[in-house]
Amino acid sequence: MSSHDVTGTTLVNHWQRGVPVYREPVLTPTMLFFAALAALGLILALVRFFSPLGQFSGMNDAYAWGIWKTFNVMTLTALGSGPLAIGMAAWVFNRQKLHVVMRTALVSGFLFYATGLVALGFDVGRAWNFYNILFPWRWNAESAMLEISFCMPVYCFLFLAFENLPLVLERFYYTGSDATKAFLKRWAPALRRIYPFMLTGAYVLPLMHQSSLGGLLLLAGDKIHPLWQTPFLPLLYLLAAGFCGLGFLTFLLLITCLHYSRPLDAGIMGELGNLLSYVCFLFLAVRFGDLVWRAQLGTAFAFDRMSLLFLFETALILIPAVALRRTAVRETPRTLLNMAALACLGGLFFRFIPTTIAFSPAHNARYFPSVPELIMAIGYISLGILAFGLAVKYFAVLPGEIKDWNYMFRKVRQRRPEAVRI
Amino acid sequence: MAASMNRRQALKGMVGIAGTAVGAMTARAEEHPAHPVAAPDAVAMLYDNTICTGCKACMPACNEANGLPPDTVLSGGLWDMPADLNSKTKNIIKLYNEPDASAFAFVKRQCMHCLDPACVSGCPFGALKKSDWGAVTWNSSLCIGCRYCEVGCPFDVPKFEWNNWNPKVVKCEFCYDRLKKDEQPACTAVCPTGAVIFGKRTDLLEQAKERIASSPGKYFESRVYGEHEAGGTQVLYLSKVAFDKIGLPKLGSTSIGHYATKVTSVIYKWLSGPIVAAFFLGGLIKRNWNRHEAERLKREKETGLPDQL
Amino acid sequence: MPGSLTRSSKSLETIDERLKQCGLSRRSFIKFCSSLMVAAPFGLAITDMLTPEAVAAGLGKVIRPPVIWLHFQDCTGCTETLLRPSHPDLGDLILNVISLEYHETLMAGSGKQAEQALAEAVRKYSGKYVCVVEGSIPTKDNGVYMKLAGRPAMQVLQDVGSKAAAIIAIGSCAAWGGIPSADPAPTGAVGVADLLPDKAIVNLPGCPPNPYTLLGVVLQFAESGTLPELDHERRPKFAYDRDIHEHCPRRAHFDAGRFVKQFGDAGHREGWCLYEMGCKGPDTHAGCSTRHFNEIPDVWPIGIGAPCIGCTEKSIAFRVPMFKVIQIHTTAEPPSTYAPIVAPQGKVSPIATGIAGLAAGALAGAGYVASRKFSQVPNDEGIPGSPPAQDSQETQSGPGKGTTGEP
Repeated sequence: MSSHDVTGTTLVNHWQRGVPVYREPVLTPTMLFFAALAALGLILALVRFFSPLGQFSGMNDAYAWGIWKTFNVMTLTALGSGPLAIGMAAWVFNRQKLHVVMRTALVSGFLFYATGLVALGFDVGRAWNFYNILFPWRWNAESAMLEISFCMPVYCFLFLAFENLPLVLERFYYTGSDATKAFLKRWAPALRRIYPFMLTGAYVLPLMHQSSLGGLLLLAGDKIHPLWQTPFLPLLYLLAAGFCGLGFLTFLLLITCLHYSRPLDAGIMGELGNLLSYVCFLFLAVRFGDLVWRAQLGTAFAFDRMSLLFLFETALILIPAVALRRTAVRETPRTLLNMAALACLGGLFFRFIPTTIAFSPAHNARYFPSVPELIMAIGYISLGILAFGLAVKYFAVLPGEIKDWNYMFRKVRQRRPEAVRI
Repeated sequence: MAASMNRRQALKGMVGIAGTAVGAMTARAEEHPAHPVAAPDAVAMLYDNTICTGCKACMPACNEANGLPPDTVLSGGLWDMPADLNSKTKNIIKLYNEPDASAFAFVKRQCMHCLDPACVSGCPFGALKKSDWGAVTWNSSLCIGCRYCEVGCPFDVPKFEWNNWNPKVVKCEFCYDRLKKDEQPACTAVCPTGAVIFGKRTDLLEQAKERIASSPGKYFESRVYGEHEAGGTQVLYLSKVAFDKIGLPKLGSTSIGHYATKVTSVIYKWLSGPIVAAFFLGGLIKRNWNRHEAERLKREKETGLPDQL
Repeated sequence: MPGSLTRSSKSLETIDERLKQCGLSRRSFIKFCSSLMVAAPFGLAITDMLTPEAVAAGLGKVIRPPVIWLHFQDCTGCTETLLRPSHPDLGDLILNVISLEYHETLMAGSGKQAEQALAEAVRKYSGKYVCVVEGSIPTKDNGVYMKLAGRPAMQVLQDVGSKAAAIIAIGSCAAWGGIPSADPAPTGAVGVADLLPDKAIVNLPGCPPNPYTLLGVVLQFAESGTLPELDHERRPKFAYDRDIHEHCPRRAHFDAGRFVKQFGDAGHREGWCLYEMGCKGPDTHAGCSTRHFNEIPDVWPIGIGAPCIGCTEKSIAFRVPMFKVIQIHTTAEPPSTYAPIVAPQGKVSPIATGIAGLAAGALAGAGYVASRKFSQVPNDEGIPGSPPAQDSQETQSGPGKGTTGEP
């Protein structure tokens, strides 16, 4: 279980496999807080579903998309692209080390997508007509909106859910009866056989819809400021999803280790930091290459409001990219955390700005989310946080050392987990 | 091993074929030329603000023909006084005043019925579509209320009913029901001065150019707005003041649908892009998976611990 | 001259003959005809002609229609309005165009003589005369509150109205009850149509109505035996199908938002719209805004600066307070102001901004606090938040590290 670093010092890999969280009770004050926020948001969402949209949001005809579509879906699913980024690194580019953090990425990614889709479901005004999705001859195949409405649910509830299946089934195996064990033992090989195909789907589909999220904005044309409106928007959104996924996973791992008092693994964190830096550079290269090709460099340095916003967003991505080239930064927990956070923020800014801030349909038009709108958005996010908090306690998600885990799983009804013999 | 590899390859191939079949069924090869051509029977409206007196007869006529209530919100119940096109107003007369009050101009705003509309291009189930004679119409049983049309329209035309739990997307539909009965739209029929007239697009373009030719210097830039804007529209404007002053945005002559789909239409043609990506990625994944599986058995034997996926 | 009435009441001649007999000039008759055309510009067969001369020629051949005029709970205002026109010989003209057989205010006789005249007129012209009713009819307590020659009004109406060819209920009182029917309606006053629903009745509400409306109806009936087209309240459409608001001379002020705020203010002196003073014009069907009164322009309520009280409408007059502002129910037309090229949209809620700021601040704060807990030592694999390992060789980090004795 140990690896050797360049200088020959022996480091112990603290992350060997997923280990559930034991130290904390399931319902802590923090969890109850998020549960309350989530309940509030969901109740409001249900009420909103049977009421006019205007009463529950600050959207108007100039800004027809509020924060649910633009933030919960277009922006936060970038943070939920951990499965795509880590998965591609692990399974396509064969970075073996990252397999151990794959589960954390999968659970957080699934929750970002699921809560984003809930937000989307409560945002459309005539949801009852969505049954038309079942009739392919009614699809407008060139619409990016259709692509997303089809691709994201299929990805989340088929492929990503399937990828999450092993960690769920693992619990059933170790806490189940002999019949359950036998059943799972019988079907495990079949699951393994189709796993690579599901993996392929799980990477092709996000490539499609993460870029389509950017493609949505192409139709807005000149309504989006030229610093953001480019035919490369789909590619840029995809690359942003890449480094946001990486960055968020780094950030999440560090924060959960802090919160649940678990040791870190410098090797893996360093690897994540390294990859993050590369993807950030790739993103910036395409971004600036595009600006040069469209002769918009002057606009970028005009130092008006939009230019400053652009420079700020670029700085948020450039600083981590450069800083993470230094080994010391990659391997120091605090700096890695800060750089990952900056990169995520930069990615979020990039994906959010063209939808609302750099979007100018008419002069004299203003938009800010209304209170119910904010409460619902926060509610969806809290639901994700709550579910994640529950998942890491009931399933073996967060990476840890094997010796900490005796194949124990927390029983649902009991506070204290019991030891279960294999 | 070789046989199962072939089986796996065959499975992948079948998925590919199925995908292509689905793609063939569903991908409507919507052509988006950069400069669309109008259909021969395309109708149009020509609005000339040098003739318009601002009488606003077109506004109650439109309300009546479309069964819309007056928008009396801002007037406290007194007048039909919309501030802009909205969910109760498909057609509006606006006034532009030069800052030094030296000149003024009216403008009639409604859907431009573009030759290649952005709203039609973006609508997921085709609720907005270009119907007969080029009128852009909305179908309530296909619309999911996603408001992508509002985001896409360069003229900010489609309006959503924010205050209705069963919201419609409201915009001028060229009085499609009247067109079907061989009548002209309500606004052009009622206009007392002939400021807005109805006819075939080719005829009205010709007429507009004749007007320009016979009064040089009268019309802004001596051209017709809508001839080429966003690929061309079926509502044409002649104005004495600058078009952007009366709220008609500066637009290039490329259709927005073309700009938005020029890359994706190639990548997604017959789903070829995703299929190629699937094969390519699939190949790499399969290879790494096989390696992982081979090492897994070794690892499990060494450590006694089951593998975690 | 009222006296000439009784003399020629025995026979009915054409209007031309009568005018010649009375020596009334052709010129004044033609002026009368042009007034009639103004008052009833359309929808009335006798005035659907191009020139007053043509109307005069047509009217001249009409046999003077016999008219029996009944008064019940009235103020006689409708009679007064017939005689008010300022041209001195017009009252004569009117009285010579129609053959007024019985009219309590204008006839020479009274008492038994008048009773006799009524009975005789009813008998002689039975089935042919036009009965004009002025004033409402009390119904409470068997109608004792108004008696004519000892008989209740209800009975008189029954006797005289049943034998009329057509009944014209002139004034709001006869049309739907008018002032006597206002709350608490102690006499149970109703209009003619409530008591004789099956007769051919024309309601001419108003307090008072325009006299030319009456003349137009009577003369059409005399000429062709037909009544003009009526609406659902039996009012002739040519006079009552539009509301005051549609043709009000002050409409431009309404459209431009120039309202009188207080009687006597500058706007009132300028003649601005009286909507905010409670004008019932938008809900009141009548022709006062075009025809005015007494043949003097602008002599009508709004014209002299008093808001319309809706005197023709049963649901408004003497029920809705005079100065209460009403809701506009008619189709709202655009005002004379224009929408700007770019209208403002969207508002920013300060509370929402506060919440968003709070959330962002909380996240930033939490992030900062969390980051401080992390070690700045490279390759520190210890648990974040705990003191750093003393020796870098001890890769198992310090206190709190998991032992096998897990709970």
